[in-house]
Amino acid sequence: MNNGLAQTVLITTLYTLLIFLIAWYAHHRKETGRSIVDNPYIYTLSIAVYCTSWTFYGSVGKAATTGIDFLLMHLGPSLMAFSWFFLLRRIIRISKDNNITSIADLISLRYGRSLWLGALVTVFSVLGIMPGIALQIKTVSTSFHLISGFSADSIRLSRGAYMVSVPSGILLTLILSIFSIIFGARKLASSERHEGLIAAVAFESLVKLISLAGVGIFITYFLHNGFSDIFIRFREAHPTDFSRLLTINAIHTSADVIPPFTMLFLSMSAIMLLPRQFHVMVIENINENHINKAMWLFPLYLFLINLFVMPIALSGLLVTGSTANADFFALNVPLLTGHPAIAMLAYLGGLSAAAGMVMVESVTISTMLLNYIFMPVIVRFTPRIWFPYLLINLKRFGIFLIIFLGYFYYLIAGNAFTLVNMGMISFSAVTQFMPAMLGGLYWRRGNRIGAITGISLGFITWFYTLFLPSLAKFGWLQASVLDNGPFGISLLKPTAMFGLSGMDPWSHTLFWSMFFNVGSYIICSIILRQDEQERDQVTKFIGTIEAEHRHRYHTEARRLSKPVTIAQFATLMSKFIGESEARQAIAGYIGDRYIDAAGNVSEFELTNLKRFAEKTLAGSVGAAAAGAIVDSFLSDMGSRMELVYDIFSTVRTSLDQSREALFVRLKASEIINRTLDLQIIMDDLLDFLLKEFKLDIALILLRDADDKLIIKSYHGSSHNPIPESHWFYESKPFCDEVSTTNKTYVINDTALASQAIELNRTIASSIVSCAYIPILREGEASLGIIAVFSKTISGLFAEEFIGLLESLAGQLAQAITISREIEAKEQERTQKEQALLLNARINRDMEIAQQIQISLLPSTAPELFGIEMGGRCISAAHVGGDYYDFFLRDDHTVDLLIADVSGHSVGAALIMAEVRTLLRPQVNVAHSACAILKSLNSQLYDDLTRAELFITMFYAKYNSATGRLSYANAGHNHPLICREGEASCIELDAEGLIIGVKPSVIFEECCIELIKGDVLLFYTDGLIEATNREGELFGAQRICNHLKTLHHLPAQDIIDSFYSAVTTYTGLEAFQDDISLVVLKIL
Amino acid sequence: MLKQLRLKLLNRLQLRESWIIFFIFGIILLNFPFLHIFNKSDTLFGIPLLFTYFFVGWGISIFIIYLFTLAIENSGTKQMERRQP
Repeated sequence: MNNGLAQTVLITTLYTLLIFLIAWYAHHRKETGRSIVDNPYIYTLSIAVYCTSWTFYGSVGKAATTGIDFLLMHLGPSLMAFSWFFLLRRIIRISKDNNITSIADLISLRYGRSLWLGALVTVFSVLGIMPGIALQIKTVSTSFHLISGFSADSIRLSRGAYMVSVPSGILLTLILSIFSIIFGARKLASSERHEGLIAAVAFESLVKLISLAGVGIFITYFLHNGFSDIFIRFREAHPTDFSRLLTINAIHTSADVIPPFTMLFLSMSAIMLLPRQFHVMVIENINENHINKAMWLFPLYLFLINLFVMPIALSGLLVTGSTANADFFALNVPLLTGHPAIAMLAYLGGLSAAAGMVMVESVTISTMLLNYIFMPVIVRFTPRIWFPYLLINLKRFGIFLIIFLGYFYYLIAGNAFTLVNMGMISFSAVTQFMPAMLGGLYWRRGNRIGAITGISLGFITWFYTLFLPSLAKFGWLQASVLDNGPFGISLLKPTAMFGLSGMDPWSHTLFWSMFFNVGSYIICSIILRQDEQERDQVTKFIGTIEAEHRHRYHTEARRLSKPVTIAQFATLMSKFIGESEARQAIAGYIGDRYIDAAGNVSEFELTNLKRFAEKTLAGSVGAAAAGAIVDSFLSDMGSRMELVYDIFSTVRTSLDQSREALFVRLKASEIINRTLDLQIIMDDLLDFLLKEFKLDIALILLRDADDKLIIKSYHGSSHNPIPESHWFYESKPFCDEVSTTNKTYVINDTALASQAIELNRTIASSIVSCAYIPILREGEASLGIIAVFSKTISGLFAEEFIGLLESLAGQLAQAITISREIEAKEQERTQKEQALLLNARINRDMEIAQQIQISLLPSTAPELFGIEMGGRCISAAHVGGDYYDFFLRDDHTVDLLIADVSGHSVGAALIMAEVRTLLRPQVNVAHSACAILKSLNSQLYDDLTRAELFITMFYAKYNSATGRLSYANAGHNHPLICREGEASCIELDAEGLIIGVKPSVIFEECCIELIKGDVLLFYTDGLIEATNREGELFGAQRICNHLKTLHHLPAQDIIDSFYSAVTTYTGLEAFQDDISLVVLKIL
Repeated sequence: MLKQLRLKLLNRLQLRESWIIFFIFGIILLNFPFLHIFNKSDTLFGIPLLFTYFFVGWGISIFIIYLFTLAIENSGTKQMERRQP
């Protein structure tokens, strides 16, 4: 009916315009910097391009024919989402780092930028996706026919005399191609991100969901009364079918039944490896963090879109009564029950699903075609000015090609299969990439030959066991081959290889293809070795997450033999990506790098520039082709990559020098630990550095006590100490810098650096590169600097080398610290020894003095009839200033005295010895007490004044016949007499100054009668001034009381008792002052 | 209390191992032994058993993934806090 046709065409056109608008709007927003695509919801919806019209129509068909197992095709991706955080994130990081443009890029890059591998992946992708695209074309044309009622196969256009009949299929294909080109191949972008395309795809995913859910809700709740209603009704109508459809049957009765595991496996690999999935998940990903949301939003999407599939299928079976055309139940049921609007909704949903898939798939595969099939051919020709145009048109041609190949497949095989099965053929194809991909990401040994063999064998198996048989019914393969195997060899029967019969074709293909694929991949990877390039890539790939932490500048072990200017690189790039793009890229790169007026960059920056050029070109032509282009360009310029002799003067192209580095550290550690002599260590270490690393000059500077850097060791062209005018002093600013920042300072090219700082003399001595490494232990201030220079190699001080030198400096710092500590300890020890020695000597002297003093005091008291005497002196220190003596004049006269020199030092003791000497002759002259004191005073006055000492003395004479005691006192403590019957003690006092104050003093003489039973106590102030803990003095009263309790004891016991009383009273072991006691008892 | 429980749960989920465990668990749940258990044509309130198994299980697994993403964000913020001195 024409109405239906016109209406349908109109609505289709309007819908298409809407999509265009959205795409244009998204593109516009990106240009102005406020992208609407940069959010996780759009990202998730774009991943939902997985649900093509295969999901939309095919699932319903499968649900109606084989039952609920259709769900497994979506459960697989849902399960796979678990792994995205690790797997997908890793893939995205690697891809972003290397400007990857397609899955072929990734695989080819990992296996050493292999062009062959990339080409292989591309060809197989094209073949594998043919059924998929055919599927989409089939659904669109069928649904179009259904909804418009237009059933003719071709459209007739009449224009006057001409009548052209165009098969509607071709028209559709053309339209799809044009859409895809507009969305995806407007220009040769260098990042392959198409925000317009993504916005369109996301919108289409939304429409898909709304459409299918809408149809589902309509059927479930309007046509019937809910879920349970459908199930119950269906069960009543077709009970056997119910149990068949709603359970999973293990019986492989037809090619339509696929075991759950196979479906799971295929769908899990498909979600990652289908070119469109890879493109949308990895290449078009804007922000890694979107993955987090997508991980659960995408399964949710799948959940929602599949929720109503079963009801629709069952309802379709109920309404139509058969499984004919089951794929299109979603359309037919509304149509047949008289709801054309809902049917239109379904139609739009299916259209969206198909269009989205075709657009993304064709664009990404066309990119692969361009990079791996067309470019390798083009690269052989010199770049011309029209190359950018050629490239973009080749890309567009590729899109046409792919879609038309799909159409071609549709023509041949389209009507033989249910939709789902056509999709499954594609899934089986892309699963062949799985071993190479997973192995590439997680297995270090996976190598290129293995990947190529694996993929090839896998594909051959797929082709033979699945693809060919699918075309068998149309004469592409003789039926006899199918039944009996080629040339009659039944073991090679395509559907039952090697006798594995009884399996459905999908599991059969899956098993054999994986067997050969994985098997040959592993075998080849183990047997054969990887080459240099591959190993580099392996470190890049598998070490990629850890590499985040390494921020430092990356210098090359290779360099260009002839300098190339930036302008030349820019010209090369513009030939492929257009001038304005090239300019932009270069401007962004130059940024903060240092170039001189002619556009030259320092020599070792050139390799970075080369890498940048490769990376930029890779965005447009693929990594492998970009490498080839730049290499051929450079060889045209006459510049090659030379290998720089690395630090061990062996030619290496990779940075694997860990064993040599270990040896160096070991040797250095030997040198350092061999001796304690710091100078030897430093000299030997510099020797070692010069020999081992072929440096020319090396110095060690250390900080001395004033914090100035002094050259401690200098080894180089001459061994003499360096003069003031030496070129090294130009490096002073660097040394200061190193000292302040505690970081290594490197000049890899003195010519370049001399433009900022004056280095004339340095350059004049042909120094080409130098480094200043601080000698320090971690976390401490620097102890000095190691300065090394090379006259031959610039760019010598690469990251690894500096790391090595720094570790040597660290070891040296440790040695210096230890040696300094040892020195300090030695000094301390000698000081201590000397102090101890001195102390011992002094002690010994003091002990001698003590002995002498004791010998000067009377050892025993003299005996006189009728009296008992005793005396004792205990000094506070070794020697004291107290003195007492007894002189026996005759049988009945005895002199007693007690004296105290101020202080209790050696000086006091010496004075006391002098007193004793002076006293002896005096005594014999039978003077009175006061006369003796007077004489002593005048004789001692000079000495005492000079020594600034004083003496207190109490001198008494006792006559036992008369019982009279006459005495004189020179400021001494009053002796006490304890008399029986008297309550308190009698104090003896006489007037007199202490000795040593005035040269001439008159002393008073007194006397007293002593009676039997008297006890006389002489003491020095040590006794009376003994303080206890509370600060109370012993005091005269206490002495008296104590004496009263003891007066019956013998003299010596009285004295001992007083000493213990004082000890108890003070609570101390030693006395605070000398205490001398003399006791006279009258018996 | 709920917040503590939540944090504990999230901490547990951060282990890389727990991801793998859930992944393998999912594969097991979608294969023959478990499918066979539910592979009967009984109905639960009129809805077939297998149908319920799939969809309820699916919903639960989506929820678990959601918890995992929360755990990731949790550890992400923790790492940010740790980096700032």
